[in-house]
Amino acid sequence: MSIEKDGGFKPKIIVIACNWCTYAGADLAGLNHYEYPADIRIIRVPCSGRMDPLFALRALNRGADLVLLSGCHPGDCHYGTGNYYNRRRHTIMRELMQYMGIEADRYQTSWISGAEGGKFQQIMEKIVADAYRLGPNRKLRDAR
Amino acid sequence: MKDITNKLQTIAANLLNEGKVDVFLAWQKGVTDYQTSPLFVRKAEDADRIVFDEYSINNLAAALLKYRDGHEKIGIAVKGCDSRAIVRLLEDNQFTRERLYIVGICCPGMKDPLKAMKAGSALGATEQLPELAAKCYDCIQPNPVIYDELLGTEQTPRAGERFTRVAQIEAMTADERYAFFTHEFSKCIRCYGCRQVCPACNCRTCIFDEMKPQWVGRENNETDNMMYQLVRYYHMAGRCIECGECERVCPVDIPLMLLSQKLVKDVAKFFGPYEAGMEYVPGRKPPLSLYQDQDPDYFM
Repeated sequence: MSIEKDGGFKPKIIVIACNWCTYAGADLAGLNHYEYPADIRIIRVPCSGRMDPLFALRALNRGADLVLLSGCHPGDCHYGTGNYYNRRRHTIMRELMQYMGIEADRYQTSWISGAEGGKFQQIMEKIVADAYRLGPNRKLRDAR
Repeated sequence: MKDITNKLQTIAANLLNEGKVDVFLAWQKGVTDYQTSPLFVRKAEDADRIVFDEYSINNLAAALLKYRDGHEKIGIAVKGCDSRAIVRLLEDNQFTRERLYIVGICCPGMKDPLKAMKAGSALGATEQLPELAAKCYDCIQPNPVIYDELLGTEQTPRAGERFTRVAQIEAMTADERYAFFTHEFSKCIRCYGCRQVCPACNCRTCIFDEMKPQWVGRENNETDNMMYQLVRYYHMAGRCIECGECERVCPVDIPLMLLSQKLVKDVAKFFGPYEAGMEYVPGRKPPLSLYQDQDPDYFM
């Protein structure tokens, strides 16, 4: 599926997707046969309000190179307000990671709705490019 | 200070005699002259052991959590920062206000016990002892915000250059910051003292104690220590009242206030103006449990 670049480095990317928007967006991207890199692994959760930054840190700690949390656009949350809470948490965590010298781009958030198969494809291409740019995650990775 | 000590002793004895409180939390003289330790008075005749001096730096609010289950009435002596911790605990529904009898003390600023001890010994004879503990120079609220009785004369806030240390770190490059924090956290012995002493850490089951799933590894290595601090201080966002207890109890001198002050600064910058625990409004939520339409989303 994918060709190894950068002397063999293949990023592990985790996309934590909300059931109602981003997961449906991914479904639509597949339905429309939009091609995107195969380096991503999707985990479905009910709502972006459920996405604790701890999920991302844990994934990074256990060998992921980049984590994307993705949910509905503001105002479109299936449960009303979950994505707003996620946005606040993200702001704080991102700043804190930067402050401690960890590349904040390894922890990203985006809004992708169920009708945005094209946007899903673009974002996946962007984060895979980001992951290649950042290289292997060494700073937060488990040493074992 | 002597005057406040006497008044505290009288108040505690009276409250215990009248049965208004079952236990009174205050300070007693520690093993050396430079220290005080917490004192939990249950009998009126023990009240004369209570001391308030320039080393009464302990924040007793976290000790209240020992009594959160049950119906005992608790008296407590608080300084400005400690009273903010009590407001936070009340906002987190750890207590009802009726169970507490709060004796507020307007705080002239505390001294750093360890530094004072060193300066007083032959070891630190050449060292100039700072007048106050580092956290007290950043104090924005020396006067209690919640109390039933107030002692001492009102003090003016001292927070002149509050985020200087944070700004110094921010001015470094990412790799320098990473090297700095890795170095600091590699000293960590994972004693969890910072968590135990923190009035904002009031979860019944802490995420670091959880076994299934075990979110953060317990091994004492650089990454797990980094994860521990990252997660713990992230949880402090909007809750930290800058009492500086984490940094004070740290046995290996990690400058933990660098992290909590950064969060205080960021929460105020992005979701503020906000200072945790400045005023008790029943039912009010901390910033990370709230949201606004116009919250920043420049990173998306």
